[in-house]
Amino acid sequence: MIEQIAFGLVAAVLIYSALRVVSDGNLVHTVLWLGVLLATTAAAYVLLGAPFLATIQLILYTGGALTLMLFGVMLTGRHAGVTVPNDSRPGGGALILAAGMFGVLAAAIMGTKGLPASPYVPVSTRALGASFLTEHLLAFEVLSILLLVAMVGAIVIARKSDPAPAAEDAPAANAGPVHAVAPPAPAPTHASNEVAS
Amino acid sequence: MNPWLHASLYAVVVVTVLMTCTAWATWIERKFAGRVQSRLGPTRVGFVGLLQPIADALKLLQKEDIVPAAADRILFNLAPPLTVALALATAAVIPFSPGLLASDLDVGVLYVLAVSGLMVFPVWIGAWASNNKYALLGAMRAVAQAISYEVPLLLATTIPILLADTMSVSGIVEYQRDHGWFIGRPFGIGLAAFAIFFVASMAENNRIPFDTPEAESELVSGPTTEYTGMKFGLFYMAEYVHSIVVAALGAALFFGGWDGPGAPGLHWMVLKTVVLWTITLGLRWTLLRFRTDQMMNLCWRFLVPASLVVLMAAALWVHLVEGA
Repeated sequence: MIEQIAFGLVAAVLIYSALRVVSDGNLVHTVLWLGVLLATTAAAYVLLGAPFLATIQLILYTGGALTLMLFGVMLTGRHAGVTVPNDSRPGGGALILAAGMFGVLAAAIMGTKGLPASPYVPVSTRALGASFLTEHLLAFEVLSILLLVAMVGAIVIARKSDPAPAAEDAPAANAGPVHAVAPPAPAPTHASNEVAS
Repeated sequence: MNPWLHASLYAVVVVTVLMTCTAWATWIERKFAGRVQSRLGPTRVGFVGLLQPIADALKLLQKEDIVPAAADRILFNLAPPLTVALALATAAVIPFSPGLLASDLDVGVLYVLAVSGLMVFPVWIGAWASNNKYALLGAMRAVAQAISYEVPLLLATTIPILLADTMSVSGIVEYQRDHGWFIGRPFGIGLAAFAIFFVASMAENNRIPFDTPEAESELVSGPTTEYTGMKFGLFYMAEYVHSIVVAALGAALFFGGWDGPGAPGLHWMVLKTVVLWTITLGLRWTLLRFRTDQMMNLCWRFLVPASLVVLMAAALWVHLVEGA
């Protein structure tokens, strides 16, 4: 009984926050609603008997991905003002598409035979870890390489050009006179250094 | 007892105890800071200033509650209670003596790290909602710091998990009771892991020398610049609760938690927590603040590689020595 009430609550929060993510006009609010959505997804995992997945969801998505999004919002907006417009109207086409997607997924789930009667199939973290390193080793390694490639790619895009040697330490060394216009390195100023300096 | 009922009752007890401890932790800290700086600290209110926390709380409650005109009201008011709630939620899985915890989660250690990792959001939300550039700059530093130090913190806590072969905090403590505390066994590995854990957790908690987000000499008061009265007090309280919980987690993961001869487990756990917490105080009041770039260098160029090396060493130890 408690589990059904809890699931109802979690589902309600999930749907409401998902709606706010796509309908809120303020970009920062959108990101924060996404945070609610991701944290509630973790709660849903707990109810489904997957506490390990829930904590990983909190660490990686809510703690990690969302932080990066906040950085994105902060660094792209020239003025860190209160409202960053995020207009997602007209939404008619999106509504039809979403309804169609729901129909396809619902049909697929309803049409699948042999689903377990109860969603509660506890899998120990040990078994999960073992299956990553045996049964699903290839997928696991391919994913790791994919992430590595994405990371290297992001760094290459962010750098724009090769920095001059020791450019990184230069601002600290020149602490005396203020270089308002001309940085010591000939390379163009890096957008990514703005936060650090 | 019904687990829901047990968890609820325990939550009431632990929240009350932690909040009380937090109040007098501020007294200890002020006395300590006073002595470090050749002062006496609070002396006026009550015997040796022992009633000072109550006077402080009354003072904070009386202060005018100001919400900046350009602030995002809802988020501005939401941030302080949220940060306290998250700080208190981490205490649920810390075993203060055998069986004395809200819920013995299988993934206890990860749970603490996940929830305390979220603590940076209320700070950011509050700062952004204040619509103040100092607050926002401080919050950006806090986020950058938290997300960076999360990596060595997670890697360092993986080591007790690996050695004890369980992710439950109680399980790790029980393993240490039977096999020796991780601070000394395996020799060197446990100590290195604890050192990384300790530094990273201080940084995550924004304690001096890692308090660049607050940096009162450059950023007024960082994320809490626009907060007044008890709302400011709540941020402060959350920081204290978090520092106590982190000290308790360190005691449980590396110093055998409630394990100890003679006295009941609770005494040992409290003693270890207080000692660890006091060490952070000592560091806090004797060290200078790092620059932001120095702090990032310490994390990415030293702590992360070091924690990877220690993790590999621990894995080899488990495989070659214990597995053989």
